[in-house]
Amino acid sequence: MIRTVKLTKIFGTEEVETTALNAINFEVKKGEFVAVMGPSGCSKSTLMNIIGLLDSPNSGEFFFDGIDVARFKESQRTELRKGNIGFIFQSFNLIDELNVYENVELPLLALKTPGAERKRIIEEMLEQLKISHRKKHFPKQLSGGQQQRVAIARALITKPKLILADEPTGNLDSANGEQVMQILEKLNSEGTTIVIVTHSAEHAARAHRIVNLFDGHIITEQYGKKFTTAKLFTEPTLYPEN
Amino acid sequence: MFKQFFTLAIRNILKDKLFSFINFTNLVIGFATFILVALIINEELSWDKGNENYDRIYRLQLFMDEPASTTQHTWSVTAALSRHDLVKLPEIEKIALLHDVSDNNMEGVFLSPDKKNQFLIRYGYFSDQSIFDILTFKFLEGDMQKALTQPNSVVLSKTVANKLFPSEKAIGKVVYGENKVQFTVTGVYADFAANTSLTPQYLLPMASFGPISNFKDYETNYWAYAFYTYVLLKPNANPANVDKQIFSALKDYRKEHHPYLRPLSMLHLNPYFQKDYHIFLSIISATALFILILSSINYINLQTANATTRLREIGIKKSVGFSKKMLLRQFVGESVLSSFVSGLLGIYLAQLSLPLFNKIIGSNMLTSVFDSWSLLGIILVVTVITGILSGLYPAYVIASYNPVKALKQKFVQDDANGFSLKKALIVIQFSISLFLLIVSFIVYKQTNFMTTMNLGYNHNNLLYANVTTYKVGSFEQVRDRLLQHPEIEDACYSNYVPYILPGGDVLSWEGAKSDDKVFVRISKVSYDYQTTFKMQIEQGRNFSREYADKNSCMINETATRIFNWKDPIGKSMKVFGKDYTVIGVMKDYYPQSPHNAIEPHLFRLMADSVGLTGLYTIRFAPGKEQKAMQIVKDEFERSYPEDVARFKDYEHLVNMDNANKGWEMFRNITIFLAILSIIISSIGLFGLVMFYAKRKLKEIGLRKVFGFSLGSLYYTMTSGFISYILLSVLLAWPAGLYVYRNLPGATKYPLQIWEFLLATAITLIVALLTISFQVLKASQVDPAQILKDE
Repeated sequence: MIRTVKLTKIFGTEEVETTALNAINFEVKKGEFVAVMGPSGCSKSTLMNIIGLLDSPNSGEFFFDGIDVARFKESQRTELRKGNIGFIFQSFNLIDELNVYENVELPLLALKTPGAERKRIIEEMLEQLKISHRKKHFPKQLSGGQQQRVAIARALITKPKLILADEPTGNLDSANGEQVMQILEKLNSEGTTIVIVTHSAEHAARAHRIVNLFDGHIITEQYGKKFTTAKLFTEPTLYPEN
Repeated sequence: MFKQFFTLAIRNILKDKLFSFINFTNLVIGFATFILVALIINEELSWDKGNENYDRIYRLQLFMDEPASTTQHTWSVTAALSRHDLVKLPEIEKIALLHDVSDNNMEGVFLSPDKKNQFLIRYGYFSDQSIFDILTFKFLEGDMQKALTQPNSVVLSKTVANKLFPSEKAIGKVVYGENKVQFTVTGVYADFAANTSLTPQYLLPMASFGPISNFKDYETNYWAYAFYTYVLLKPNANPANVDKQIFSALKDYRKEHHPYLRPLSMLHLNPYFQKDYHIFLSIISATALFILILSSINYINLQTANATTRLREIGIKKSVGFSKKMLLRQFVGESVLSSFVSGLLGIYLAQLSLPLFNKIIGSNMLTSVFDSWSLLGIILVVTVITGILSGLYPAYVIASYNPVKALKQKFVQDDANGFSLKKALIVIQFSISLFLLIVSFIVYKQTNFMTTMNLGYNHNNLLYANVTTYKVGSFEQVRDRLLQHPEIEDACYSNYVPYILPGGDVLSWEGAKSDDKVFVRISKVSYDYQTTFKMQIEQGRNFSREYADKNSCMINETATRIFNWKDPIGKSMKVFGKDYTVIGVMKDYYPQSPHNAIEPHLFRLMADSVGLTGLYTIRFAPGKEQKAMQIVKDEFERSYPEDVARFKDYEHLVNMDNANKGWEMFRNITIFLAILSIIISSIGLFGLVMFYAKRKLKEIGLRKVFGFSLGSLYYTMTSGFISYILLSVLLAWPAGLYVYRNLPGATKYPLQIWEFLLATAITLIVALLTISFQVLKASQVDPAQILKDE
């Protein structure tokens, strides 16, 4: 699903250059549940933004579903992102001026889904995430847990192949956090590929694999509780020798 | 998609009410102003369009090819041209000859229903019946087909009919003209709209002109330039062909004079190929456009600044797959929506402020915004275009945000020192406001200069009346009796006075090359004309009772200059076939508004034994107007018992002058527009500084922590804006100077730097006040609070 080769991202002003990602080789297979961990400022979010096609790398290769997208222009990235990737953010990122229903509707509008079908899909999704009774409410009228469920509904509404969740439980209490994790696990079990950034070792452990990032490098990889060797080793070696 | 577009747009408008209020006020005022000015322009362009044959109607005019003359065009032509030359031309369908009943009398002549109740009525014409085939009349009473076919018939406008015969039908009634001529009403027509160049109040048959005026051979006379001619061309006829054929029609009489046709569409705006009116209208239109640009710039700046509040929305939309094009469409769409709504509100505001605006421009011509649907259509198109143009840049900025930064709600700081569109727009905005302010000052000073300047005579403390009488005899006795009263200082009698412009003739002079000729204004005055008006004698002497001045004349300074006479006294002038000796040179005075150049002028003595029809001017002692009025009234009632002499304050003539009125309207409108431009700029600045201050809160907080004074905070916040104003001086001052140089009119007030300095100071002060409000508010912040928020 995702494969990067020597992926590098440098942020720079005229005076100072910061290497956020330093020649990273990283892979996520279809159906995998990967957790990315690391201290603040270790460029976890930068990695997420690039694999989410929100940002582009300075150098290196980046294959999304077999296509090299490293050199894609913004419009091409947008086109590929549309419907294929769902984002869940720590700060929910709901539009305050839109109500629950309208927020969830956004990705379908981008896809130009016809009205009647749109309505059906949204109703279904709201039902599934148990927020249909709140559909006329605005984000500010909801609890954090409810807001995150709306954000998840929005991420899932197009049935994306890949869900990127950047600290989805970071702003939630443990009960609500647990709920979110359960939703993600369920999705994964239904076949959706998931990459999650988290500070919680407990949450990370529920992934197939944990990637530890430090200062722009991947320092360790370990396997989570869901790890199954059979799945991983049926494919050839992932990374070329350094 | 549309539903969400509208809900989002409306909720965003309601989200920040102060911002939306500023934003909409700005656009609404901009559009309302644009609409009001568009109404004026539309009104100016709509003149005479009420005529069904608008495109085929022409007026006969003369081009007088005399380079030394100021007056080179006239529509006073000879009757013989119509009767002999035009009738032969195949292109012409109808010709109507007219003669102004009141002639040189600007006040009009008296009509009465019963010999007693006299009504002074202007714009009466002797006319051919064919005028009804050319201009569009709507008859309310009588038969238009034969209304002017019988001698001594009269056709009245509705207004005149109502004046003379209130509450009864006018048709068949008798109307008495001055000198007691009797007419029978054969028709009543609806009043002409205000935007009509020829507005007859009543018409008399041309057949009556000869007998009444005792001018029997007028139809064969090629010398009397006293008639107006309107022509209807056949469909598809080319007026240039007509011009070609009549170009030399006067070669046997005055070979320098060439008749031509001027289309009806030009009669109001530019009858004589002069730019004056066009300059006025251009400046006003440009100003309106500038104000719309100001509003658009405000919109662009405010929208761009406000984009920071939409960062999250942009980030989210981009992350779920909205393309840049979709976002661009959304934000341009929002600005078109705002602009369109503002346009509608602007139309409403314009309609509400129409009475006030009419008062400002001193007219009552603008009746309703909803009179012209095509204009409204154009305005709505303009609102959409404004919306697109002013929405494009902010939309582009917004849609181009990097989604990652947008989601982090990080505002991309624009380059602090380099060129940025926003800075350029602010400079343009200040330049426009400053420019408009300078122009309004220039026009203000010019108008005041013209209306208060020394015109070469004293028009205060004068009474005047135009008297039509059969009486022949001495005015001297009347004058002697008047002067016995201490309230009366002087009195004179003449056929023209300043502001009632005499005609003239093309004259040659001693020492002129054979071809040199110039148009000279000619008037007749009594001995005391010069002293009554307090005009100055430059050389020689005034007409005097001690000399036999029957064959003497006076000329003005301009005439001596054009004739190039070093010693004019004793020189001879041939006027209407008679020789006159120059006895004196009158110091130049303005015979009409100083907007018009002074032309050569020749004065002959009004012999004391002639008919006493003419203008009587009385100078009264200062402060004695009421008393003097009574004395004059009593004297004229006694001396002219048969006639009407209605004296008026001379200022009436000054105020009625078209050029003076035009300038006053121009002055009022430019001041009005300049004030609006300052208001709009301030609104924009207010909004902009509001955002700027929000962004600078952290800096202000830090500075406060380090103990900076309010003064230095103020300096940090304002120095940028002040430098923009100073930069705009570089654009606005030369533009202002350009306008001054191109002001229409013969006289210009001496330019001073004060207009420019004052305008700059005002712009600066208004800007500083606007900024100060925000700066003071921002400096009230609690630094601890701000820094904690970071």
